[in-house]
Formats: sequence, C-alpha cells, structure tokens
Amino acid sequence: MNQKGSKIVCPSCGAENLPGTLFCVQCGTYLPSGGPLRTEPLPDQEEGRLARPRQEGKEEEIDNRVINIEVEVLNTGRKVLLSADREILVGRLDAAHGIFPELDMTTDGGLEQGVSRRHARIYTRDGTCFVEDLDSTNGTFLNDERVTPYLPYAFRDGDSLMFGTMRMKVHIYTNEK
Amino acid sequence: MPTIDPQKDYYAALGIPATADEDQIKKAYRDKARQYHPDSANGDAALFRVAHEAYEILQDAALRRAYDRQREGRGLSEEAPFTFELLQNTKYLPILDTSQMMYVMLDIRAKKDLRSSRRRLNLALVIDRSTSMKGTRMQNVKLAAKDLLDSLYTEDRLSIVAFSDRAEVLAPSDRVGNTRVFNSAIAALTPSGGTEIYQGLLAGLNQVTNDALDTSINHVILLTDGRTYGDEDQALSAARRAGAQNIGISALGIGEDWNDVFLDKLARYGGGVSQYIRTPSQVRQVLREQIQGLTNTVAQRMALTFGLASDVRVNGVQRATPYIESLECTQENLVSLGSLTVGEPVTVVVELVVNQSEGGERRVARINLEAEESSTANRIHLRKDINVTFSTNPVVEPVPPRMLNVLARVSVFQLQERAWGALEDGNSRQATRYLEAAATQLFNLGYRELGQAAMLEVGRISQGGDPTGTGRKKLRYGTRALSMPSE
Repeated sequence: MNQKGSKIVCPSCGAENLPGTLFCVQCGTYLPSGGPLRTEPLPDQEEGRLARPRQEGKEEEIDNRVINIEVEVLNTGRKVLLSADREILVGRLDAAHGIFPELDMTTDGGLEQGVSRRHARIYTRDGTCFVEDLDSTNGTFLNDERVTPYLPYAFRDGDSLMFGTMRMKVHIYTNEK
Repeated sequence: MPTIDPQKDYYAALGIPATADEDQIKKAYRDKARQYHPDSANGDAALFRVAHEAYEILQDAALRRAYDRQREGRGLSEEAPFTFELLQNTKYLPILDTSQMMYVMLDIRAKKDLRSSRRRLNLALVIDRSTSMKGTRMQNVKLAAKDLLDSLYTEDRLSIVAFSDRAEVLAPSDRVGNTRVFNSAIAALTPSGGTEIYQGLLAGLNQVTNDALDTSINHVILLTDGRTYGDEDQALSAARRAGAQNIGISALGIGEDWNDVFLDKLARYGGGVSQYIRTPSQVRQVLREQIQGLTNTVAQRMALTFGLASDVRVNGVQRATPYIESLECTQENLVSLGSLTVGEPVTVVVELVVNQSEGGERRVARINLEAEESSTANRIHLRKDINVTFSTNPVVEPVPPRMLNVLARVSVFQLQERAWGALEDGNSRQATRYLEAAATQLFNLGYRELGQAAMLEVGRISQGGDPTGTGRKKLRYGTRALSMPSE
C-alpha cells in the first residue's frame, strides 16, 4: 500500500513543500526539526520524515503533555506564564533588528545582567522541556552548569536557569496537574 | 573468460604505465611470471595469480578498453587530474503516490600532486575608463595593471583595451616581455565618457582570439564600475561564443553601481568568475588572485549531464563552492561548471524530484561529468550512479551533517536572490518577507553582520524606499561567499 505523500507544511511560514524537502523553499526553515539547523533531535521514523504541522485543538496522545512553563525571575519577582506549544525565545527586544523574544528580559535589567538579544530558546518535544543557548555572549546555565551553545538540554520542574547573571526558576505545568 | 574488476590496478600489478603497448605488457608479464612462478626459488602463488589475471585482461585489446573505461568511469584511472565524488541525502525513500524531493551533493577536487607545468597565459585586460573611474579607482587599476605585468612570465601574451562609449586597443596582443608597450598603454589610461561594455569586451576577445592556442589559457579580464545599457544581450552572446572557443571571461565590478546580475551571467557564460571589489584598494589583490586561479587550472569546460529515470526530474542545480550560485540546467539536462583549480574544489548540490510508486532498488539518475584536462586538452569522462531503495517503511538515516550545512547556506543565498527578484517585479511585500527569512537564517547560522545588513534593507524597503547598492551587493556577494564547512 502506498503512503499518502502529503506536503510538508512549514511550521514557521505555512508554505507547502514537497515531501523530503530539507529547507523550506519560502523561508529556509529546516523542516525535519522545525527549528534552527544545529539542534535536530533524532527523527523518530514517521514524524521526522514528514514534519507535521502543529494542529491546534487536536487530541494529543501523550498524557503528560506540557501546557505551560512558568518562569520566575528571582531578582524582580516577576512571574511569566508561557504557553509551551510554541518555541520561546529568551532575550531582549530589539525592534530595529527584528528580534521579538517571547520572554523579554529588558524590564528586569537584562542588559545590565548580560542577557543577549537572542540569548536562548526553550521548547518542548514529546513531553520534555529543553533549553538551548544561542551562542549568547555570557552563556546560559542549567542548575549552575554552563550549557554548550546550540545543544538542547532537558530541564525539569523546579530547575534553575540562568541567562547571563539573571537567575530564574522554572515551573512546568502538565495535563496531569 | 576472465572477469574485469575495475577496483584492481592491473597496470600496477605488472609494474607498467597505463600507456604501455602490447609488447611492453607481454615483456612485463613474462618477467613477473618468471619471478613469482611457484616453481621458482622466490615463488609466490598469490602474486603469480595477480600478475596472470592482469595479463589476461590487458593482452586482450577489447577487454583492456573495457577495463580502462570502467576505471575512468569510477575516477580510478591515473589519467583523471581530479576526483569526482557523490553523496546522497538518503539511499532509502518511502513509496509515495506523489512527488518527493531528494538531494545529491557532488564534489570535484583537483588531485594535488598533479600540478601540471605552467601553461602560457593569453590575456586581455579590458578596462572601463568612463568618467566615474576618475581618481582613486583609476589609480588603483593602474597599479594593479603594473602588478600584473610583473607577475606574468615574459612568454605570456597580454593586450590592454580601454573602453568608454567606444573601445580602444591601447596595447595589441604581444609578449609580456615587451614591457615598454604595456607601460605606455597603462600611462595612457585617462577617464572620460560612458560605459559600453560590449564594445570593450569584443575588442578584448578579438585580441585573445588572435593569439589563442590549444595549450594556452585564453582569458579576458573585464574591470568595470558602471552599468551598460542596451547592449547586454550582445555582450552575453559574445560571452557564450567565447566560452565555446575556450576563451574565459572574468568580470570584476568596482564600487556599487554596476549591474551584478549581468556581470555574474557574463562570467558564467565565459566560464570565469565575477567578483565584487568594494574599495579601489582591493583591485590589486583581486587581480592577483585571478591570475593565480588561472595558472592553477587543472580542468576546464566542465559540464554535468544527467541521465534520468522516466519519473525523475532535476528541480535545481546550485554551486556551493568556491562560491554559491544557481546554475542553469538546459532542456537536455546539461549544466556547465566552468573550470577547476588546485585547492578550490567545486561542490554542486542537485535537487531531484522523484515520483516513484513502486518498491525496490532503482537507479534514479546517472550523472556524467565531462571536462577537458588543461595541460593536454584531453577529454575526461567520469560517471556516477544514484541508486535508491523504495519501500513502504524505509530506513531513516541521518542526513550527512556536511550536506546540511551546505544546503542551509545555499538556501540563504536563494532566499535573498528571490527577494531581489520580487523587488524587480514590484512586489516589495514579498521581497521583505524573503529578506526577513534570509536574516533569520543568517542569525541562526551565526552570520550576525550579514543578518543585520539584511534587516537594514528590510527596514528601507518596508518604508517604501529602495535598497542601497552597497547593502544589496554586500548581501549578494556576502551570502554567495558563505564559507562551507570542510569534511
């Protein structure tokens, strides 16, 4: 039986690409992982091949799906609740260069504390949360250990993240709670 | 009937060159046989068998031809001055009822040790002397031309042509040894008038044609800083004709006002390179590199042809090294690649669209590489097959990282090319979208400066302005030159 050769819908611009396409024709996004090039999670058979578009409201098979990530900035006490269904860019807003982070550290004194404009990204894959440093100037630390840029590191509820010298605590909310 | 194994070097087994004639083969075999025969004192049955096998193939003219051909086809023959390698993104594809994409990367590398003796250069230097060249530009061009004289050999040929609204041969083709003629020609360069490239190009080509030999490297170097109007098509067809006669063209653009798309094409048709010279002081270095590239050429007029299965088509062909560019694939599936120099491998990425609804292993395409060896003018023909196994549940292999890196950079180049295309069509919304995407990918790849240059142009275009010449050239030639990771 032949498989349905469905087009790959690019997760970032929505353009349709032929199955097997590696880089979106319209926006250059690396399709098998839906993210930057160097962080491809190993493809698991079907999914990796035909990177499916995210479908809102679709019944999810994984029970303990992460819905929200709450970040508590320790020095200001600010709490930010972020939706986990899309990638979260951590950094400082810079409209002139088109950088609009989901988690903007400008108001927390991000510049003084060494947060880069594109500092890190946070995303979930199969129920696990990952943080990945984007080659920031002052680095990203997971539980006080500096992470290697462009490599995903899994973190858990209650872990401590530090961007430059700005420390924060993460809470992960899943379906179970 | 002996079977041919192209992996084995029969010539080496007998200790003879590939050019050996029948008598030499016979004699070499007799010597080896006597030496290794199991009955003799230092006999070695294995070596004896190897020599015997080699002799069986090589003494038969038809078998020897077949063997030579097979070795050549695999790039194993001693004759080829370069290697030809192929990498697929996958060897397994799912059976789909629609088309799907696959990628192939080709690497062509000159063999280092095979540096041929330097061939005679036969050059024309075609210099734009329009008014805009006044000042530091012309001064630097003159210095560069003097440098050129010093770096050439006395037996090389050179001519100097200046053009503005019309062309003037300042120094007709002559031995470089006659420095007086060239020095006074360089001194006579004074800027005035407009820019008509076709006239200058034609005069330069004529000079080179007069002194062209099969064994010389025939090349026109065009230096300009402006746009030509109305004669682009004539110039391009002259470049095509020159390419067919084995005369190369390099186009060097100074400053921001020249027509990059036109010069790129001109150089490609002429089998040469176009280059962006940002400041006049770079002229000398760029020219020096050009000459070095020319003398290090090992093969020229390289071309790929694709033999495709019925349900396969070529979606696009891109050069990735020495610089990125989109290559034209003709109706006959032929792609011209220009020349190959020592230390500058040519890497090409091919996108294939496959529409296969049956299982099993199949040959999707056969890629032929033809080239002319520079030192001997011999035609070289190498061949590679692309085989893919189709199944309902294919093995998923990771894409080779080097291939991903190359594809990512080629993709960025294409995005910004599309942006300029969209802008020309008057679709500035689409243009900004492409440029923004290019910027995002440039940031992802770590090229911050280029990413920022792209965002600056986005800002200008979205406010209804035109992109700057500097920004456009910086992006085009910057992304074109994105360095490729080596293996």
